[in-house]
Order: sequence, then C-alpha cells, then structure tokens
Amino acid sequence: MSAQGPFSSAHPFSSGFLKAWVDQAGAFQEMFARLVDQSTGAMPPSMPPPHLAPWKSFVDALGMGGFNPEQMFPGTPALGLSREYQETAARLLDLSKQFQQRYAEFAQQNATIMQDAFHVLKKRFDATPSGGKTPADLYDAWIDCAEGTYAQAAHSERFARLLAELCNISSAFKVERGKLTEQIARHLDLPSRAEVDTLHHQVRNLQLAMRAAAASSGASGAAASGSAASSQSAAGPAKASKAARKPPKRTKK
Amino acid sequence: MNASTESLAEMLQSAAAMQERGRSVLQSMLGLGDVEVGATEKHCVYSEDKIRLYRYSALARSANLKPVLICYAMVNRPYLLDLQPDRSFIRELLLSGLDVYLLDWGYPDGADRFSSFDAYVDGYLRRCIEFVLREHVIDSLTLLGVCQGGTMSLCYAALHPAEISQLITMVTPVDFKTPENLLSKWAQHIDVDLLTRSGNVSGDFLNLVYLSLMPFRLTQQKYVNLLQMQGDRVQLENFMRMEKWIFDSPDQPAAAFREFIKWFFQENRLIRDELTLAGRPVRLKNLTAPVLNIYASKDHLVPPSASIPLGAHIGSKDYQSLEVDAGHIGLYVGGKTRKSVPAAVTAWLQTRR
Repeated sequence: MSAQGPFSSAHPFSSGFLKAWVDQAGAFQEMFARLVDQSTGAMPPSMPPPHLAPWKSFVDALGMGGFNPEQMFPGTPALGLSREYQETAARLLDLSKQFQQRYAEFAQQNATIMQDAFHVLKKRFDATPSGGKTPADLYDAWIDCAEGTYAQAAHSERFARLLAELCNISSAFKVERGKLTEQIARHLDLPSRAEVDTLHHQVRNLQLAMRAAAASSGASGAAASGSAASSQSAAGPAKASKAARKPPKRTKK
Repeated sequence: MNASTESLAEMLQSAAAMQERGRSVLQSMLGLGDVEVGATEKHCVYSEDKIRLYRYSALARSANLKPVLICYAMVNRPYLLDLQPDRSFIRELLLSGLDVYLLDWGYPDGADRFSSFDAYVDGYLRRCIEFVLREHVIDSLTLLGVCQGGTMSLCYAALHPAEISQLITMVTPVDFKTPENLLSKWAQHIDVDLLTRSGNVSGDFLNLVYLSLMPFRLTQQKYVNLLQMQGDRVQLENFMRMEKWIFDSPDQPAAAFREFIKWFFQENRLIRDELTLAGRPVRLKNLTAPVLNIYASKDHLVPPSASIPLGAHIGSKDYQSLEVDAGHIGLYVGGKTRKSVPAAVTAWLQTRR
C-alpha cells in the first residue's frame, strides 16, 4: 500500500482518475461553448421556412442581406388576416431563441463551476494526501467542493442576472402562449382565462360588499366570510352550518 | 500486487457493497406504501375560502397560558411542525400544557390569484385571531410565526399590537437584503410583474429555486445517503415523510406573491419602515409585546443575518433571541432541537404570563 492515501493526486491510481474527471469537465465546457456559438449564430429566422426555401437563392442573388424579412425590411409589420397570430408566433419564436441563448450560457457557466470544483477537489487531496480512504469519502469531499464552488458563483451578480433573465424570458413566453390559448378557447366556445378572471373579480367584490354590510350592521366580519366549525374533523373542509358547536372543554384564559 | 491495483480492488469492493446496500434499500422501499403525516389530533374550528384554522386536542393539563396561534408560511405545508409523533414541535407544546391553534393556508388556486398580501395578513389572519379571541373571551393571544409566516406575524403585530400579548418568530426574515441571503440576491432582477401576469406561481417552480440553492447536496448527496440506511424501515419512513413534505408545495397566489417579493425581497420595505398594508403603515416600532426571535445558525434559506436585526427595529423592551445550532428544517425535526426548541418556547412563555 502506498504511504499516500489512495485519493492523493500523487497516487498512481488517483492521479489518472482525477485527470479523467477534470478532462471530462473540460470536454463538457467545450461542448456548452459550442452550443452558445450555435445558438447565437444559427437560429431562425435566418433559416427560411421550408415552403419559402425555393426563393432563398433568388433573394440571396439580389444582395439584400439574406432571406430574412426583418433584415430586408426592418420593422415590417405583420399583414393580412392572420396578422395577430403572426405577431404572437414571431414573439414566441424570438423568446425561444433568447431562452436558448441564455440557457446555453447558463449551462456553460455550470460546466465552469464543475471544472473549478474538480480543481478544488484535486488541491484538497494534494494538501491532505491521507485524507480520503473510501469512495464515500471521495464522494463527500466532491460534494463539499462542488457546493463551495457553486455557492461562490451563485452569489455573483452575473449568476443572479442570468438566472433572472431565464426566468423573465420564460414568464414572457408564458404570457404570449396564454394569448394563443385565449384565442383557441374563443374559437371553441370554451370559457377563457379572461372570462374566469372576470367572474373571480365579481365574486371577490361580492364578498367584500357582504363583509362591509355585515360590519356596518354590527355582525362579526367572520360571520360574513368564514365558518366556525368546532366539531369539524381535521381531514375535510369545514361545514359550519351542519357542525354542532361544542363549548371548549379546556380552561378559558 | 502493487499499490494502485490494491486501491482499485478496495474501491471495487466498496462499490459492490454500496450496490448491495442500494438493492436492500430499494427492496425495503417497495413495501413502504404511503407515509402518514400530521400525527396529532386536531379539529377545524374556523374556515374561510381555502384557509383552515385548527385547534389541537389537549395532551396535558393546561399550563394556564394564553392560547398560541401558529402562523405558518404560505410556501410550504404546515405539517412539518407535526410530522410524526416523535418529531412534532406542536406535540411538544401540547405536552407542556399549551393550547395550540394552527393556521393552514391551504392550496391556493386560480380563484385566489387576485388575493393581495394584505388580504392574507389583515384579512384571513386577522379573522382567525379574532375567532380565537372570541372563543377564549380574551383580548390578546400568543402569535407564533414561522418563516414567511413570521414576517406576516410581524406585520400583523405591528398593525394590531393590542391583540398580541407575546410574539414568537422562528427562522423569520426581517432584513431581506443581507449579503448571505442567496434567495434575495436571485430575486432582485426577477420581473415579478411579468412572472405573475399569467397567474399563480407554481409550487414546482419554487421547489426548483430551493433545490438550486444547494443543488449537489439536495439533488444528489441526500439520495446517496439514503443507501446508508441499509433498509432500516423506520429511517426510510422518516426520509419519505420529509421527502413528501419538501415537494408538497402549494402554488402561490399571484398578487400576494408579487407583493411579497417586490415589497420585502426587492424593496426591503419592512425594515425600512416603508411598508403599508390595508392602507395603514406597518411600523415595527409599534410592536411592544415581548418578542422571542429564534433563528438557525445553519439556515441556508433564511440566514441568521436576515433574522437577527429584528431586535433593533421593534418597540418592545422585552426582546430575546435564541440561536439554534440547526438548519432551516432541522430546527423542528433535528435530533436535539425537536425537544429543546419547544421547551425553550414554553419556558419563555411561562416567565411572561
């Protein structure tokens, strides 16, 4: 048995093992970097939809900046019968593109964190050669290093901004998707979110009015809005009207 | 045999043993079935929309203290406080003779998306407190707020100081912008108006955020540690109860969530004396009741630095803080703290009859 612990990076076995880990993290990082490049360079709308592909070479030959209506005629509004759908679809497409770009950046950032964590782990075992004894020790040490490195990055302004951008883009996508769902609901004569919201507002206003009326007539606010149900079991909703009121058994304070 | 071959052999042996433990754990888990939570008997005494006010059945002779109303956070389910008979903060309080009420916010849905933060604090919470006061024919009670529920309790106590005879805050954020507060750092750039424009905020989204605070421990290590349980049924059941609680997260009502994030996390209004609820200013200086502020030294969700400043901002002359060597959840279910913390609460209340 070597005088150094099996997880010292000077140990013949673990030096190879740690190198493989670090190299793998590096490979991941390269992969994510390529993803970022791809997502910024090769996304729609530079790619024409299939039915317009035959016109691509013709438009390219005109030298008007490629087959991209936005580049050819910046600010061109959506036209015609389906203009509302076109606009929503364009916004959804744009948001998807933005999300993909940010996500690739996020993934690359995570790959960097992993690689940094591997280096910290390697340093730790170099510093305490007899430290790790079992795979469980190695695993726990890895988790410590990974969490430490992650925490450092996660507290940075860059990380917070990237995370927020991902969240904000997702939220905007959800809003746009909601508009499409509204349109579909109207076409199918289903209750739309807007209709349900209106009803909720009406119910809420009615509750407030009832509470105010009860308060002005001297009744308790609770009586107007809630239900007392002292014998109600913990499992189900309270049915105050049916529940027999029992006097509290315990000493009143 | 040279050193590296020996090491490799040891590692393989160890890996084989781990695999065997994993097989044993999985086998034990197959027969577990559903785990039960919420061990102690309670009755719903008041309800309104989604909320329920429960009163727990007495387990000991009354200590003749004012009833305690627990205001839990909206972002998780309150049965953490009564997870199982031997891990129950509430049970411990009952065993010391306290009369315990618990406000359960329920699972908000689309009907609650326009309910504002003050509808929860100065609406539901107020009516629950009024109910308890009426039931006991008293003017004031003990309010115990947990985490976000602690912040809500602080707001309530500042708005209605006469109704609160003692206030206990547990792992409660007060200063939302301290350097250690990772959740707050992430919240600063979130467009919360946009986030809530399409309705309630899902519990799954919040869970993803919580897991992201310590992703390696919370999504990997804890499951690897599961293998160490070697098929011990009791340990596995404890693990599964906690697992159930962690992922049993209600959706958050859009308006209240938007206001909470904006007013507290982004603008830190409470501690800056700039918060207004129900058209009235919320001034912590109005809070004059005795306050016990309990925080956990290893809390990764509400770091101690977020809770500690409370004492400097309230009007109360009777303020005590208690640091507990635990994490945000361990405070209630940890080996030592599950008995010592409720004991400290009871002792504090007994000296303030």
